[in-house]
Amino acid sequence: MEKILRKEHLSEWLSLLDGYDIHGPAFADGVWNYARVEAGGEPALDHTNTVRPVKEFAFPQREVFFRFEQEKGGRPVLTAAVPDPKPTVVFGVRPCDGRAMPRNDKVFAAEFKDPYYWARRDQLTLVGLACAEPHSPNCFCMAVGGSPHSEDGLDVLMTDLGDRFHVKPITAKGVEIVARGREAFDEARPADKTEVQRAHDMAERGPQRSLTDLAGIADALRQSFDSPAWKELAAPCIGCGVCTFLCPTCHCFDINDEVTCQAPCKGERVRTWDNCQFPDFTMHTSGHNPRDDLAARLRQRISHKFLYFVDNHKTQQCVGCGRCISECPVGIDIVNVLETVAQP
Amino acid sequence: MVKIEELQAYAAELLEKGQVKGVLGYRRGTAGPWVEPCTVTAAADTASLTWDPTCVNNLALYLVKDKKAQAASKTPDKRPLAIVAKGCDSRAVAVLLQENYFKRDEVVVIGVSCEGSGVVDKRKLSEKLKGKTPARIEFAGDDGFKVAVGKSETMIPAAEILADRCLECRAPSPTVSDKLFGEVVQERSYAAPFAAAQAAEAASEEERWAQWQHHFDRCLRCFACRSVCPMCYCPECVVDSTTIVITPQTTAEDKANRIRWCERSATPADSAVYHLTRAMHLAGRCVDCGECERVCPVNIPLRLLNTKLEKEAFEMFEYQAGQDAGQASLMSSFRDEDPNGFIR
Repeated sequence: MEKILRKEHLSEWLSLLDGYDIHGPAFADGVWNYARVEAGGEPALDHTNTVRPVKEFAFPQREVFFRFEQEKGGRPVLTAAVPDPKPTVVFGVRPCDGRAMPRNDKVFAAEFKDPYYWARRDQLTLVGLACAEPHSPNCFCMAVGGSPHSEDGLDVLMTDLGDRFHVKPITAKGVEIVARGREAFDEARPADKTEVQRAHDMAERGPQRSLTDLAGIADALRQSFDSPAWKELAAPCIGCGVCTFLCPTCHCFDINDEVTCQAPCKGERVRTWDNCQFPDFTMHTSGHNPRDDLAARLRQRISHKFLYFVDNHKTQQCVGCGRCISECPVGIDIVNVLETVAQP
Repeated sequence: MVKIEELQAYAAELLEKGQVKGVLGYRRGTAGPWVEPCTVTAAADTASLTWDPTCVNNLALYLVKDKKAQAASKTPDKRPLAIVAKGCDSRAVAVLLQENYFKRDEVVVIGVSCEGSGVVDKRKLSEKLKGKTPARIEFAGDDGFKVAVGKSETMIPAAEILADRCLECRAPSPTVSDKLFGEVVQERSYAAPFAAAQAAEAASEEERWAQWQHHFDRCLRCFACRSVCPMCYCPECVVDSTTIVITPQTTAEDKANRIRWCERSATPADSAVYHLTRAMHLAGRCVDCGECERVCPVNIPLRLLNTKLEKEAFEMFEYQAGQDAGQASLMSSFRDEDPNGFIR
């Protein structure tokens, strides 16, 4: 049931999605990010890509696990805080970010089904927007097995055809929100499908970064663990969290008790994003830090994505969005790093 | 004009004669239009050194990094480092000298004059291009900058995309240098010192606080602003959880109850604590290289916080950080005529 949505009918579709929280790209303070679309509003679908990745709809930067309270001499009282969010639709998800979500799903379900992640994830519907052209000179989705119109991880894929969108539901969640749109849509005709094909083919011809041999990277990384190149490549690194926090697949977290009141003792146990580039990430309680320098941390970031994740989940944990390259304050470039240390 | 061949030859000469162990400079990167910082250690490699309006980084940071590395090394290499420094970067070197972070003979400053121009501001460019990352930026003389995005090229007038710090620059020629490239230009056609801070002061206190809350609310706490700052050289930062010295006698309780000046959660309150602490620690020390603002992935106008304090230092004490390496630093000196109305 592929559909056509005239651009002037977008707000009509949105208005029929009552009961859903709707988010979409918005340009504010000089950056694209997702923002709530208020009733009667429309998301801006002429965006490049958002700076903050879509992962935070299921894995927010701060998640409260439970609240605790204890009177002096009394028993501690714990209150569960599993989120119970409204169904949420996110518009304008780029196909690279769409591919990130099934990878995150593996992490939060492989050995243990994380109730906090899945409480949000199960309510989440991702409406993708195919890229007409690479939005940055650092795009490399095709080099890691994706494409500017990949459906992987998306519930709906929209393709911009100038005055209208081609709308293709992919999952049951996608079918549901398109069915809600009713007469906002027209049926897609064979001519529309030909045009979509042409748009997708054209997008694939846009200039992208490339990797010489994706399949060979994991073994090459295993070989180059002790390579002196790591030190050289990490020389300009300042050890900030830009690359990992903005990464759509980085999922490491820290857990802390945040005390808000001493008497009675009150507080929350919270999970926050953590970052393998920070000095305290691998610090032991003894004070010893096995990953003591930036070269070891860069190697960890790259190896996790292209070696350990491949070992564990049979796919790379990188979708080629290019954020870590474009936003790195000192030009550390994951494609260049792989081409330097991880080619057979 | 800075003749890059002459700068390269000078760098090669320093390395050939063994006067320095390396030259901190800029070279063309692989990640889009911006240069990347590099350390050249062989005379033959100096041909890669470059100089243009995308040389945004303040390389003084790497003098600090090297000092720390040598202090931690069992076999320290104490030979001096050479650094390519713009006006603002040289002020950072001057402050580090004032604060005795290293001695004058430990650094060779290769000064470059911005000659009435400056560097391009990523944030302004992003506003102009609505989030698109250009592939190339070229200085095109009086006409401004030629910016290539995808297949198209746009001319943008210099005043529209030069960094604010360049528009407000009070000393575009290095204050410390062993050898200077380019012409000394003291007066600038754009110059308007503290213009942005002055403009911000026009708003009421309530409006300003609302603005900063809005900004802190989107802080990711990636700490890129701190990590890139050459003045943030503390071995341990108050915001890291590595600030407790652990001995075999440290109990689990001590570790759990360590002072946490700001929590890991990126809440607006904790982010305000972080940014305001940093701003206060930079009072009278910030050289306005604008790096904190440049590296912020969500465009928080951090430079405003710091220039506000520099404005205070200038108006109250006629002090400008980094203007004179021989002068005592603001916080370590006292003059009879200093305003003291706050002592009662």
